Amino acid sequence: MTDPLAWLILLPLFWATGAFLLGPGRGARLAIAGVAVQLWLAFALAAKVGAGGTAPAGSAASMGTAIKHAIGGWGAPLGIDLAADGLTAVMLLLTQGVALPLLLFARGYFAGDSAAVRYFWPLTGFLLAGFNALFLAADLFNLYVTLELVGLAAVGMVAMSGTAAQIAAALRYLFATLIGSGMYLLGVALIYGAYGTVSIVTLTPLVNADAPTAVKIAGGLMLLGLMLKTALFPFHYWLPPAHGGAPAPVSALLSALVVKASFYLILRLWTGPFAPLADAVAWLPALLGSAAILWGSWQAIRAVRLKMLVAWSTVAQLGYLFLIFPLLGADGLALQAGGMQVVAHGLAKAAMFAAVGVLIHVTGRDAVADVAGAASRMPVTLFAFGLAGVTLMGLPPSGGFLAKWLLIEAALAQGQWWMVAVILSGGLLAAVYVFRVLRQAFLLVPNERRHRFAKSAPLLEWMAFALAAASVLVGLRGMEIVRLLGAVA
Amino acid sequence: MKPLKHLTLILAASAFAALLIAAMFALPPPTVNLAASVAADMDRSGTAHPVTAVLLNFRGYDTLLEIGVLLLALLVVLAVSPREQHAGSAAAEPVLQMLARIAVPLMLLAAGYLLWAGAYRPGGAFQAGAVLGAAAVLLFLAGLLPGWNAPTLRLRWGLAGGFLVFLAVAAALLGQGALLRYPPEAAGALILLIEAALTVSLGLILAGLFLFLS
Repeated sequence: MTDPLAWLILLPLFWATGAFLLGPGRGARLAIAGVAVQLWLAFALAAKVGAGGTAPAGSAASMGTAIKHAIGGWGAPLGIDLAADGLTAVMLLLTQGVALPLLLFARGYFAGDSAAVRYFWPLTGFLLAGFNALFLAADLFNLYVTLELVGLAAVGMVAMSGTAAQIAAALRYLFATLIGSGMYLLGVALIYGAYGTVSIVTLTPLVNADAPTAVKIAGGLMLLGLMLKTALFPFHYWLPPAHGGAPAPVSALLSALVVKASFYLILRLWTGPFAPLADAVAWLPALLGSAAILWGSWQAIRAVRLKMLVAWSTVAQLGYLFLIFPLLGADGLALQAGGMQVVAHGLAKAAMFAAVGVLIHVTGRDAVADVAGAASRMPVTLFAFGLAGVTLMGLPPSGGFLAKWLLIEAALAQGQWWMVAVILSGGLLAAVYVFRVLRQAFLLVPNERRHRFAKSAPLLEWMAFALAAASVLVGLRGMEIVRLLGAVA
Repeated sequence: MKPLKHLTLILAASAFAALLIAAMFALPPPTVNLAASVAADMDRSGTAHPVTAVLLNFRGYDTLLEIGVLLLALLVVLAVSPREQHAGSAAAEPVLQMLARIAVPLMLLAAGYLLWAGAYRPGGAFQAGAVLGAAAVLLFLAGLLPGWNAPTLRLRWGLAGGFLVFLAVAAALLGQGALLRYPPEAAGALILLIEAALTVSLGLILAGLFLFLS
């Protein structure tokens, strides 16, 4: 257990295979033990990265000086390297940190539902292995393979309980994710044709020196493909049915982590090899992000079903991530804002889907109107929903507040006033859809006809609460995360 | 409206294709020559064929994850396939059956040869596994092999065994200082071990993608 980089990838693959061998529905304890060890490994890696010096994370220099692992001992460009810097460490911590409570939640949530859970554990193992491999990759083709692992596992998890609506949503999701990966792969092929290598470290100076037309096309294709996978407006069409239709633990994994993986890759490429090409089009993702914030929030306010409300909120919150691209500068503020938003939204959205999962579990219904009077029955769950809402609105002292604060600071430093207006109105709109649910739950008296609450499960409620509390408390430890984002070993 | 939409799509796709072709004609010669690096390190790779050396040694990690993707695809098929299934295929034509009985042993032999030939000429686990998978599909079509329901423990070991062997070798070689760092003297034997295990599992996985759904 000496090398966290290799074991963060191997371990989930081992327990995923082990869970498959144990048989349908088995392997929950194996998975939870595995993720606990992975969390420890991620902390060990973060400590190692944090102990090094500081430089703007994600910059061209940072990939070159990060902690490395040359697979096979060959070294890039002949072999494949793994690399970890501050941004990698934060993403790995977030992934394992969200996964552990969610897997405990899933174990309770799926108890007794043998159909949905048959292959949940091995699929989750492959999903987590895909994340860890993606965050650690430093090779464009290797990144493609990890994208496929993440995408295919996510599609399988959406489809697994097998109702017609879910299969339809999964199929839509499959087409979106395949087109996205296909565009990315075409880009990789063009780049290999132009330079003869796919190692990011080797490529970066080459692209800086000379970028023929084929490389510009490649960059555009890869960016578009990854935007489709991240569900940036107007490519968000596949997200609400897929995230809103899946079982709650799956929705939580999808919204908290899966869309962040492709965003991470955009950020990595944008600040790395494609930096010289990207400046000219930086306003495009920011405009689309603004549209996503407004449209996603509006749809969340109008949503009838509880899970659709949370899914549309994901569309809106993803918008903030894309506001950072025109602001990326030497001061590193925008990058810190992006990293903070990924962490805060990851924890808050996992908490919100978990809380909504408990509400649906207990009330047996999935409409916003059906949670009327639920507060007295499930105070912990509603408190969790409220705390997660605090983060989404961006109220202090939550992680979401810190993210938006940094973002506004970066926007003001560059005189982008319109962006401040978008950020603030996005927070107000978030308050509207969060309070829509809380008002129902706290103030309204339940309709007698519907007043049949099932027994709630304390473990489920407390896991949702733990995630929500983490999303708020992460704001208090924000400076450590910001420092880690800038750390390069 | 519809023909107009089609026309626009066709025009856009053609324009994009033309742009791609033009860009590719304008490409300068690649800066990095990986073929030369591969050739320089061939004698330490444990195999005599450059494609096998790249797939199993230089970029073996990609291949490891690709096998993971294949196993994952099978898991997804299993997760969505209906639980209640009919066993066996309908038509059992005697001519087809006789042909299958003759062809399948030859296909097994061909798979073994492809696996062995991969060490020094094009071939290897993927090709051999594809032939094995095709043999299973042929047996099913001839009515000699029933469609598969939920996999038994033995079948699960068969499906995941190759991936597990690859994973275990990769992890064990961490003792050499890096993931999948073969010691040059043992590289040939380890690669053959991995390829043999992969052949069986890939054959079963490819057959499974067909047979679990039929």
